[in-house]
Amino acid sequence: MARIGRRSFGALALAGAASGLSAPRIARGQGATIKFGFTAALTGPFNEFGEGIRRGAEIAVEEVNKAGGINGRRVELAEVLDDQLVPDRAVQNMRRILDNREIVGLMAPSGSGPTLAIVDMVQADGRPIINPQAQTPSIVYPNGADKPPRPNVFSISIDNTVEAAKLATALAGYRTVGILHESTGYGVTGAQLVRAELQAKRRDARLTVESYNQRAQDMTAQLVRVQRAGAEALLVIGLGADTAVIRRNMSRLNINIPLYGTAGAVTVPYIEGAGDLVVGTRAVNHAAFGRRPMHPAAQKFADLYRAKHGTDRWYGPDPANPFVSLAGTVASGYDCLNLLIDAVRRAGSTAPADIVKALNETRDFAGATIASITFTPQQHVALKVEDLGTYEMLKEGDRVVLKLRD
Amino acid sequence: MDDFFFSLVLAGISVGSVYALIAIGLNLTFWTTRTLNFGQGSLMMLCAMLVVFLASQGLAMALAVIGGLLVVAALGVFVERFTIRPALVASGGSMGWVVSTLGFGIVLQGVAAKYFGSQAMAFPDVLFTTQDYVTVLGQHLSLQYLVVLALSVSLILLLELFVRKTVWGQAVFAISLDPELALVQGMPVRLIILGSFVASSLLAGVAGILSAQIGGTVDPAFGFDLVLFGFVAAVLGGMGCSVGALVGGLAVGLISKLVGGYISTAAEHAIAFALLMAMLALRPQGLLGRPEVSKA
Repeated sequence: MARIGRRSFGALALAGAASGLSAPRIARGQGATIKFGFTAALTGPFNEFGEGIRRGAEIAVEEVNKAGGINGRRVELAEVLDDQLVPDRAVQNMRRILDNREIVGLMAPSGSGPTLAIVDMVQADGRPIINPQAQTPSIVYPNGADKPPRPNVFSISIDNTVEAAKLATALAGYRTVGILHESTGYGVTGAQLVRAELQAKRRDARLTVESYNQRAQDMTAQLVRVQRAGAEALLVIGLGADTAVIRRNMSRLNINIPLYGTAGAVTVPYIEGAGDLVVGTRAVNHAAFGRRPMHPAAQKFADLYRAKHGTDRWYGPDPANPFVSLAGTVASGYDCLNLLIDAVRRAGSTAPADIVKALNETRDFAGATIASITFTPQQHVALKVEDLGTYEMLKEGDRVVLKLRD
Repeated sequence: MDDFFFSLVLAGISVGSVYALIAIGLNLTFWTTRTLNFGQGSLMMLCAMLVVFLASQGLAMALAVIGGLLVVAALGVFVERFTIRPALVASGGSMGWVVSTLGFGIVLQGVAAKYFGSQAMAFPDVLFTTQDYVTVLGQHLSLQYLVVLALSVSLILLLELFVRKTVWGQAVFAISLDPELALVQGMPVRLIILGSFVASSLLAGVAGILSAQIGGTVDPAFGFDLVLFGFVAAVLGGMGCSVGALVGGLAVGLISKLVGGYISTAAEHAIAFALLMAMLALRPQGLLGRPEVSKA
């Protein structure tokens, strides 16, 4: 057996120490990967959102790496953790991500609850974060939209304020409107904003607002209250599976007024759960995948997604016409990563202040969900009313299609 | 009759009859072992998910329902053998079975999420669609609600007849009073206990199918809330009393809907737990139960 002498051992130790000292230098050097991270609902009942943005982010990373990375450095999703849309878990995950000093940029979780839970710690940390899906305005503007945004927090999601303005335009033709909203921050804020927008558009508008708990199996009490108030149309602010319960309940109670939904409500679980009853439902969602022809960035993303995953649950069965919800559930993750990558490239640095400065200088960036994304130091929410469309659900053969009406 | 009131009453008794079915399932195991299977909600979920899965594989709906029920019946045997019996032996009559049955339910949720996914699955219309209805005295009556009510009440009455009018039913009653004496008398106590868990699981399966048909979707977390309401119904009516379970279930369903309709939808579910607390404070044996007497 070979024996290591005292002198050899000392040399080995020195060599080890030297290599240990040089390792961080290599990691920080030109060849090291640029790392991003996020926590999202990858599993659990709301994983259509979290798993969706993960897929979108992966496509963005693969695309940039195929094109040679950022100034020759590869890009990596180094921390991708699952929070199941539970705020506590999102906080634990984000703590772990922030403890990794190699992460240079972040994507916010799916949903307002987890995002509101982590946003203060991310603001204190200073690294840039972009919100793909959470809708509550206070995520970006904690002191009101007329006050400065959080310096390092940006958003491309459908903001409740913008969605409320679009919904109010669609509902302004009715004098009496019923609103059913889930009892979460998303539902409560959304209902308040739609009420304010509608009353601003129509001074004689009469609104009946009722709440429900997610996953309730019967909504009779809420629906008959709306019916008794003489509602001419009903708006649901919630998620797809609950909207299916509401639509089925309406049918059992023989309530035949027009049904409107938010972007979160009219998703695949709604179409599957309500079956043929979805016909006639109108909803607000991204216009990107509903316009023909799609704008180039949307078409490119649709092609990339279909090539990687096929016509699956997120894309829908028709190769030529992806679900409009593909924008919010998947493409928003793609846009977030692309915006971060673009900012790092323009900044020529991975220092948080440099990336934030570059994000603030983003002008007319071609996104898949929003055709033209612009941020300024005051304007950290990219979506505008014209980026949304009002759709109507129709049946063509045995398929449900969404036709852009406005 | 006022349409508003009528709609609330119909939905209340329909939903309440599902609570009653769950309460009866809880009662069955309470009779034989003085335990409750808190994994009932997951059995409801699994049965409904299996029906969706089997139907999607091309099986006729009736066969899919039978398949789902057979699996949950087998799981009833598993629950008794591996979560209740060891807990009762090991803990000498303490409450270890609460944790073990809850744990069983959580494991079942995980298994369902692994194999069927965690997204809500569309549940097919088993007997009628949401658009099927009859008109009685000018009122629109959903056949889905009526079938839930009719099936639940029929099953509860059949079970009550079984317990009161058959030798096996009398044996269940005897075991509920004194299992040791029943054993000495030569009754197959172990078999009857096992049977009570199988029957309880089957009732959970039926309740799962009926309530999934109302909502139209089912996911791995389905059933947990319903078991809580079933528990409230069982306590309200009197733990161990079949007629009490029916009365308790209907009362919880009706009062919840009427409070939701006339007072506030935010109070719809909270009122059930307020009733539970009031009943435990004022009449712990429930509306139709008898106070338990322990021999010295």
